[in-house]
Amino acid sequence: MNTRDWALITFTILTQMSVGSFLVLGILHYYASRKAGMKEADRLSDYALLSIIVAFGLALLASLLHLGNPLNAPRAVTHLATSWLSREIFSGVIFAVLAAVFALMQWRKIGSFAVRNVIAWIAAIVGLILVFVESQVYMLPTDPSWNTFATPITFYATTLLLGSLAMGAALVANYAYIQRKDSNGAKVQAELLRNALRGIAVASVVLLGIEFVVIPLYVAYLATGSSAAIASTQLMIGPFGLIFLLRLLFAFVGAGVFGLFLYQIAQAAGKERTLSYLAYCAFVLVLVAEVLGRFLFYATRVRIGV
Amino acid sequence: MAKQMAFYVNIAECVGCKACQVACKDKNNLPDGIRWRRVFEYEGGEWVNQAGTLIPSNLFTYFVSAACMHCQNPICLEVCPAEAISKRADGIVLIDDQKCVGCRYCSWACPYGAPQFNEKLGVMTKCTFCSDLIDQGGHPACVDACPYRALEFGDLEELRAKHGNFDNPAPLPDPSFTNPSIVYGANGETEVSNQATGHIMNLEEIPNEHA
Repeated sequence: MNTRDWALITFTILTQMSVGSFLVLGILHYYASRKAGMKEADRLSDYALLSIIVAFGLALLASLLHLGNPLNAPRAVTHLATSWLSREIFSGVIFAVLAAVFALMQWRKIGSFAVRNVIAWIAAIVGLILVFVESQVYMLPTDPSWNTFATPITFYATTLLLGSLAMGAALVANYAYIQRKDSNGAKVQAELLRNALRGIAVASVVLLGIEFVVIPLYVAYLATGSSAAIASTQLMIGPFGLIFLLRLLFAFVGAGVFGLFLYQIAQAAGKERTLSYLAYCAFVLVLVAEVLGRFLFYATRVRIGV
Repeated sequence: MAKQMAFYVNIAECVGCKACQVACKDKNNLPDGIRWRRVFEYEGGEWVNQAGTLIPSNLFTYFVSAACMHCQNPICLEVCPAEAISKRADGIVLIDDQKCVGCRYCSWACPYGAPQFNEKLGVMTKCTFCSDLIDQGGHPACVDACPYRALEFGDLEELRAKHGNFDNPAPLPDPSFTNPSIVYGANGETEVSNQATGHIMNLEEIPNEHA
């Protein structure tokens, strides 16, 4: 692993987290607007939206660090006909443009709600397509540890899990900010926050369950494959066994244990501070888990051939 | 002009001297660590202990010289995001370093390890079949350097007519991935890639990128 490999880990994790965040925030905004009106819903989500745009911008910058010849980077979208990598960069740029346009319109309240809503929906769909395309980049016939059902499933799981918990962390940060500015007016926000966190907690426990089903199936599947696939399994449980274990443990504690606490404590009002700590910790733990998981994804690949 | 340029490598004649590899590095001025042509030392079998005496059992060694296979379905060309890889009318597959973004995606895909990253240039490089020499009526440097005349080049169909169509000696991968333009001559010990029992012995010299 060197800088260029870490650039890929950063790029894929940040793009997936951003897409998931965008989707989750849209859903949260919808429920908040139904409950407390558009103005309160905007107060809940506008800063979080900004953080998504920043994260995606960083992802695109990280992708440049992967290139040996970044001056030619614009050429990377020229082979859409057969290259999934071209399609990845292309859909990434489209998502970035749509999300940024939407964020700008939402911030400045440009255009009607309906128009903004349509743009947000298109951006979310392009984002989900981007995650699919990103998984296809790795489905190379000569890389058996990548060329499995687990690649798209885990990419989507990462997208939604990190997206949910990143938005959990962003919303508690936003709430702290609102409270400092206007502690009386924060009451409605506190309730919206608790509702949001409960939804996020349920989502993260479910997604953890999906990961914990797919990962063992994936390892078992690889172990019955070609010699290159078996070599990948041996790396996973041998030299990288500890990292593999930590990856599972951090996800379990972050999304599972902290998720359950988050759900419990968000039931009653008045414990916003505890909720904040839980939401931050859950996000950081799951972020570490997913980064380790992505590290293993690259580090345990064994290509067929010489 | 040939329809598909190809190499013929006679494993039965090759002694593993690596003159081809060195001639390639010399002609193409390749830096440390980059070998467009590589010679795999492949061996198998074992020594069996019989009452304190070690007896050889099915021991074998042979050498496989391999470069870019200038495949008929070049997977590198298919996956390259920058349209930097092209196949000429004579079948030679080339990387255009003016177009390459240096993402190394082709090296993830190619099962022959042909595209190799040049750190100094920041781009992928690989065997060009000495197309500059070919265009002037010359020969690839590796072919001319072989002291055992184990290397030939020419049109794939002509080489197949002359030497057969064996294209998958171990440790090379299954040819179905890319349809390589290559003909090998076998000796009695040569294994087929799908039934390989031996292993590459010179991993210190040619590190498997993941070993």
